[in-house]
Amino acid sequence: MQITLMQGLMLAIAAIIIGVDYWLEALFIFRPLVVSTVTGIILGNVQLGLATGALTELAFAGLTPAGGTQPPNPVLAGFMSTTIAYTAGVSAETALGLCLPFSFLMQYVILFFYSSFSFFMAGADKAAEEGNVAKIRRINITTTLIVALSYGVIVFACTYLAQEPMANFVTSMPAWLIHGLEVAGGILPAIGFGMLLRVMMKAKYIPFFIAGFLMMNFIPMNNLLPVAMLGTAFALFDFFNAKARRTAIEEAIANNSGSTGGNKNVGI
Amino acid sequence: MSASKKLTKKDITMLGLRSSFLQASFNYERMQAGGWLLAQLPALEKIYADDKEGLSLAMTDNLEFINTHPNLVGFLMGLLISLEENGEDRSLIKGLKLALFGPIAGIGDAIFWFTFLPIIAGISCSFASQGLIIGPIIFVGAYLTIWVLRIVWTHMGYRLGTKSFEMLQENSDIIANSATILGITVIGALIASYVNINLLPVISVAGGIEVSIQEAFLDTIFPKLLPLGYTLLMFYLLKKKQVSPVILIIGTIVLAIVCSFIGLL
Repeated sequence: MQITLMQGLMLAIAAIIIGVDYWLEALFIFRPLVVSTVTGIILGNVQLGLATGALTELAFAGLTPAGGTQPPNPVLAGFMSTTIAYTAGVSAETALGLCLPFSFLMQYVILFFYSSFSFFMAGADKAAEEGNVAKIRRINITTTLIVALSYGVIVFACTYLAQEPMANFVTSMPAWLIHGLEVAGGILPAIGFGMLLRVMMKAKYIPFFIAGFLMMNFIPMNNLLPVAMLGTAFALFDFFNAKARRTAIEEAIANNSGSTGGNKNVGI
Repeated sequence: MSASKKLTKKDITMLGLRSSFLQASFNYERMQAGGWLLAQLPALEKIYADDKEGLSLAMTDNLEFINTHPNLVGFLMGLLISLEENGEDRSLIKGLKLALFGPIAGIGDAIFWFTFLPIIAGISCSFASQGLIIGPIIFVGAYLTIWVLRIVWTHMGYRLGTKSFEMLQENSDIIANSATILGITVIGALIASYVNINLLPVISVAGGIEVSIQEAFLDTIFPKLLPLGYTLLMFYLLKKKQVSPVILIIGTIVLAIVCSFIGLL
């Protein structure tokens, strides 16, 4: 299917708004689920947007900027997975595999901005010294505008301008390659979850991990809400226990030392 | 320096909303400093209305390195603005900022990136993959709520003032621990529902009957054993071997294509 110029421009406008949201991390409309759905609406195929969005979102679940590292770009992944599925007529899984180069590209653009925007700080220091409020505002607006325009231009180029070579490239691929990308699309979420586990997993959490996995594996469910409720139950159980333990320790300390004079700075 | 209140409730609400600009000029040298200052400017201008030097000192201090969590930053802003308003010593304000932005970032990451996102994404995607538009609507609604809560955190920080410092230090580890338990439970379920690996080969048994390895063996003994195994392998490589995720993504795609070519997957 062809993307019209009008649709291309609408995608660019959406990219500017969504790109700024990712830059600020404010409303979280930058996650692939939302971006793909919006793309699907603009292209007139909401179902396609939902299917590609759900898959891309989970593949990107663990790829977060937590701790100050810039992950592969979720905005471009959302736009491109839906666009590629639309223009080249491939499955959502295959489109997920094919959208990744665009996601990496934008990741490096953002990294470039992170480095180069350091140059604005000298001017900001001077403005602060002078108490120049307007200048601080101007610097922040400038950096945000640069980011916004880059998203608009890059998404317009990747979706509208590159659609024909992209479609030709995909249709010229042999069946085993398309199927391979489809298989990859099914496995890629494993890396996202691996990333989450890397940060979160400790030996003491293994029981909860097993419980969640088994519940989903052996009890037929349409959505994840029941597992989230179970997890909440575990979390509350632990929270109250930890609170009770801490109170008990504090009381024991208070009883021992008689007149307390020190600070009650409880470490980790 | 009078200790009289210069800021109204509305000013604090605006401060919470403006905390959305935290990353407006993000860069590697100062991280969020530019946006952090930008968000506080109207409040600072009001506090130092006729004290040009005080304003410039406050601006200079607030342009120093900071990197904290965007969803919770309002709390820290509210807290520090209440100190600015009371005319507290600059080194106290600076010290509290330095002491708190790290722990707040830690709590924020544990709650929002590692717990809230997998859960909301998991629930929303399970609707979206059935073709239901309610999926993304739930997602946007949940995050809109989180965004509005900025205002609440900001008022909370402002009201509690220095008391919040103690509270945060005492409870941050318990809260982070409970949040992690919830997150880990959901991740276990996400692996079972969203990672898919299906073996294609079939075994010919006597009489020309073909048995699929996937259906006859794996699915009856332990469904989703391969997805679990592969996820744990990724976890191992990321954690113990410090392999970059980009390498793993490329490696996985190559592996999948090779397996597709030889007819294994």
